[in-house]
Amino acid sequence: MSATTAPARGTTPRVRTARAGFSATLGFELRKLRAQWRTRAVLLGALLLPIPVAFAIHAQGNPPKDSLFGRYATTNGFALALLVLGYAGQWVMPLLTAIVAGDIFASEDHHGTWKTILTRSVSRGSFFGAKTVAAMGFAILVLLILSASTIVTSVLVAGHGDLIGLSGQLIPASQAWHLVAMSWLTAIPPTLAFTGLAILLGIWSRSAAVGIAAPVVIGFVLQLVGSMGSAEALRPYLPTSAYEAWHGFLASPSFHGPFVTGLIASAVWAAITLGLSWTLLRRRDITGG
Amino acid sequence: MNSAALAVDAEGVVKSFGAVRAVDGITIRVAPGEVYGVLGPNGAGKTTFLRMLFGLIRPDEGTLRVFGRSWDDDGTRVLEGVAGFVEAPRFYPYLTGRQNLVALARLDGGVRPGLIEEVLDTVDLADRADRKVDGYSYGMRQRLGVAAALLREPRLLVLDEPANGLDPAGIRDMRALVKRLADSGLTVLLSSHNMDEVEEICDNVTIMDRGAVAFHGSIADLRAMAPDPGHLLDTTDNAKTLEIAARHQVKTEADESGALHVVGPHDAVSGFVADVVAAQVRLKQFTPTQTPLEALFFMLTNTEAVAR
Repeated sequence: MSATTAPARGTTPRVRTARAGFSATLGFELRKLRAQWRTRAVLLGALLLPIPVAFAIHAQGNPPKDSLFGRYATTNGFALALLVLGYAGQWVMPLLTAIVAGDIFASEDHHGTWKTILTRSVSRGSFFGAKTVAAMGFAILVLLILSASTIVTSVLVAGHGDLIGLSGQLIPASQAWHLVAMSWLTAIPPTLAFTGLAILLGIWSRSAAVGIAAPVVIGFVLQLVGSMGSAEALRPYLPTSAYEAWHGFLASPSFHGPFVTGLIASAVWAAITLGLSWTLLRRRDITGG
Repeated sequence: MNSAALAVDAEGVVKSFGAVRAVDGITIRVAPGEVYGVLGPNGAGKTTFLRMLFGLIRPDEGTLRVFGRSWDDDGTRVLEGVAGFVEAPRFYPYLTGRQNLVALARLDGGVRPGLIEEVLDTVDLADRADRKVDGYSYGMRQRLGVAAALLREPRLLVLDEPANGLDPAGIRDMRALVKRLADSGLTVLLSSHNMDEVEEICDNVTIMDRGAVAFHGSIADLRAMAPDPGHLLDTTDNAKTLEIAARHQVKTEADESGALHVVGPHDAVSGFVADVVAAQVRLKQFTPTQTPLEALFFMLTNTEAVAR
């Protein structure tokens, strides 16, 4: 070991008083995310996986007629993109967001780095905010990549002719582009609700496995609950139902009620899960990590 | 010295985990420029105290101020001018040593140009800074922990058993580094369960036992309280050696193997051994069993020395 950085005895050491603002803390989180292979793999998967999926569906001799837009999925790229959206909302989107959100807090426990970062003049509130924004930003980014890749691939594979809407109306291709893109974007609010849920489960369990897998399982359970006749009144307020809010855009006349309800329900879910998450993190004694 | 002038001013601090009182009303005051040791066996409450100092956990009772600031009144401003680590320093294994420091520097609001290279050089990690931390040895992580602390250019450096788990060469290097940092004017708060380490580095010490203070004072005070040193002596004629011992101010006791445990003031033991040699008795073994300060440490903390 060689020369010391500390000043000679008798001199006054220069004392660092600078503290990281929110943007620096967010930059710290983003730097870590960028360095993880898992993050890059998810982004790459969102970009590339729609290609084989679109080809596989298009190559089917019998289109999946029982699914929404399945009847036209092999002949119309817009219908194919909407069919994929229907499936993606069931478990793919909760999983994609949970891969980062369920791990972003739990990984500090796993690596034992809470004490490393919390001994550097940065508050828990700053870390909570930065990690939450990073997880939500990632969720939106991965959704945008997935939607863009799916729509472009579907149209290239199955064409971009006029689309037959849910009421049997003919939607011109120029309008279909817009509606299909809007439909994919309606997945953002429920995906952010699942981001909040994954964050909560990651903080509560301190386990990335729970933070990642549990939101997907809970998503399936909520779909099951939504499909039960006795829970009909509850159905509009489940984040899983918000994944179906786009149906109204493709009916004639179109209706936006389910989208607005889904937006509010997703916001409430996110607020509750994040509120609980912060309560847990704020009160926690950092004894292990 | 008033609280604001002290580097650390902890008074009556209590922390319990369930029914276990990990820290039981301890009072510790560290003056600026002091090299202060907190010594105790595992489970004495040293790490719990340091966690409270860093705000990782909050005390149930008592007050804790660092350079006059408290967590209740000042939040994270308490840590301005403070750096160090609690237990083994931990880093992101998928980042290199340098990337970890760059990331942490960002949390510190940025560092002056060249400082990262400087601290890497200080802890002798400059040539391995671009390897992922996942492949670092325990000692390299300890040194990276010191580098990460120095990045904050602290007034108070808090190190929790920095030589723990290191091999003899690593222990020697780590102690030399801590001594050099202490000599440079930093206030150092060093937690350890090793009396030699604290004796070598520190000016003052608090010995903790089961959450409470068992001793508080200077190393000189501690030395004055220490019992006589003990040695294990085995010779070619232990019966004659015992006869010679009777003429000196030493206590001797034979163990199961026949070797003699000799306890007495340093000068008396020296004179006794000289007489043994002069009597043509050959020494087969003459080794210290424990230093006086070690013996005192075991007495104060009601623990037993581990056989060497």
